[in-house]
Amino acid sequence: MFKPLTLRTYLLVAALIALALALPHVIDDSYLLHLMILSIIFAIFASAWNLVTGFAGLKTFGHHAFFGIGAYASALLGINLGLSPWLTIWLAAVIAALAGVFIGTPILRIRSMPHVAIVTLAFAEIVRITISNLQGITRGELGLWGIPAFEGFMLPLIGEVVFNPSVKLWYYYLALGLLLLSIGLIALMMRSKVGLAVVAMRDGEDAAESLGINLARFKLLVFGVSAFLVGLAGAFYAHYVSILTPMAAVGPDLIILVIAMVLVGGLGTFSGPIIGAFVLTFLGESLRVLDDYRLLIYGALIILSIMFMPRGLATIGSFFRRRPAEARAD
Amino acid sequence: MSSPSQQPLLQVEQASMVFGGLVAVKDLSLDLRAGEILALMGPNGAGKTTTFNMIAGALIPTSGRILFEGRDITRMKPDGRCRAGVARTFQITQPFHELSVVENVMVGSMVHHTSLAETRKEALTYVEMVGLGAKAEAPAKQLSTGQRKRLELARAMATRPRLLLMDEVTGGVDQKSIPDLVALVQRLHGEGLTLIIIEHNMRVISELAHRAIFMNRGEKIAEGTPAEIAAHPDVVELYLGEAAHA
Ligand SMILES: Nc1ncnc2c1ncn2[C@@H]1O[C@H](COP(=O)(O)OP(=O)(O)OP(=O)(O)O)[C@@H](O)[C@H]1O
Ligand SMILES: [Mg+2]
Repeated sequence: MFKPLTLRTYLLVAALIALALALPHVIDDSYLLHLMILSIIFAIFASAWNLVTGFAGLKTFGHHAFFGIGAYASALLGINLGLSPWLTIWLAAVIAALAGVFIGTPILRIRSMPHVAIVTLAFAEIVRITISNLQGITRGELGLWGIPAFEGFMLPLIGEVVFNPSVKLWYYYLALGLLLLSIGLIALMMRSKVGLAVVAMRDGEDAAESLGINLARFKLLVFGVSAFLVGLAGAFYAHYVSILTPMAAVGPDLIILVIAMVLVGGLGTFSGPIIGAFVLTFLGESLRVLDDYRLLIYGALIILSIMFMPRGLATIGSFFRRRPAEARAD
Repeated sequence: MSSPSQQPLLQVEQASMVFGGLVAVKDLSLDLRAGEILALMGPNGAGKTTTFNMIAGALIPTSGRILFEGRDITRMKPDGRCRAGVARTFQITQPFHELSVVENVMVGSMVHHTSLAETRKEALTYVEMVGLGAKAEAPAKQLSTGQRKRLELARAMATRPRLLLMDEVTGGVDQKSIPDLVALVQRLHGEGLTLIIIEHNMRVISELAHRAIFMNRGEKIAEGTPAEIAAHPDVVELYLGEAAHA
């Protein structure tokens, strides 16, 4: 993970980006594009959760709080102050990061991971219930609507960039941009000294601390960056779907889905959360008829993937090539 | 062996560590001069590792003080003590399993460099120093017990300490490689390192240590040269006698 990237990796990433850019021109289908956009939102969310849990080993189950905070913050700033979504998504991400640092400071001192899991989950429930009860501001369960859309503009050589429900193309490209930014940030971080410290901390806190690593500082850094990215994904989601309810934006279903995505894709890998997000979003769509039983399927998927491919889809290729030791570097 | 200077590097003053009802270390005092090698001896459960934990910051003593270079570090966290110049190895080795051998050592050398490339370069010298050069890129989880002990040593040295606490580094290492380890410690000592070693091997102690402290049930019961300790009646009774019977 801390060795220079090979040419093969660069080429693979470049090819994937080219494919993602070309995709809407190949399949011109609004519904399919919608699924792609949802997958991307979840890919950002899952990658950020994986940063904290997979790379840093902090078992947090309350990250949907930051998704909701990002979504509502961006929507409310737009509705009440008339600010542009181009600005408010970043403000909302910063607010989510501050919330992350705020809740992270006491939590990260807890060394027992089951306690961390429960406290973070409870924190997210508090956020959801608060949003649901602040009806004067959030309209509670009635749902927050009238969320401004991204303003369009003219792009030289390319033409008009528009964001409205019937034209998904630019939402797709914007989401893709945010995804690349998020993964780029995570990869830069994890492949630097910060990443080395973070992985050491995950593998052995006492040893890491004895070698001069300030545990609290790195945990807080990782937690803050992760909350920022999840908040950003939530903010984009708000302006994309243009209506928010506490259950849709902060419901515990969200985190269950994200955990399933990361475990199926590959915990502690770069590509796993992205693969998992796409697989489960499309699978979820095709299982739509099952309605409430979908969570049951996700549960079964988590169990099956842990049993048969404990390191997820991301490492399945190297599993067949029998080089499990290198698999984490993907 | 270079002769120790008179300046106290480490002072432990009346330190006690109580776990619930168990007194693991009781009113322990010791002074360590820069350049000295001190051996900490005693039977299982005597409180040797607990003493290391208090010096390295993994435990905060229930009472008493710890001074390093005259500075009170009693409540300082382990990472702060590491940066101050105190390094330790763990009796029960704690390799970072998902990292390679050299990456394990890079965690130690990281603070001294800005780039990962330089960090790796320095780390490799420590990997080679402990004789793990051929294993540098292997995952740490593939190492044998003896190799893990060496990795502990390389990782601790990579932080460039002035005081190194070595907890049973020769334990589990195959007998043939013990002279190499002894020579290595002598070399590091010659370069200015001060050490406290927890050791059961009497030959290693007499070859390395200037002074030894013998503990039992948390208390210091004898202090002197390794030869004096080996001849001390209580020690013979408690420890060597026990070994002779075994
Ligand atoms: N964190 C802890 N909590 C409770 N008891 C502890 C803890 N650490 C050590 N002890 C107890 O304190 C006593 C001293 O333990 P310590 O590990 O310091 O002994 P030691 O001299 O290093 O022994 P050994 O030669 O077996 O390594 C033992 O009875 C041990 O069980
Ligand atoms: Mg011990």
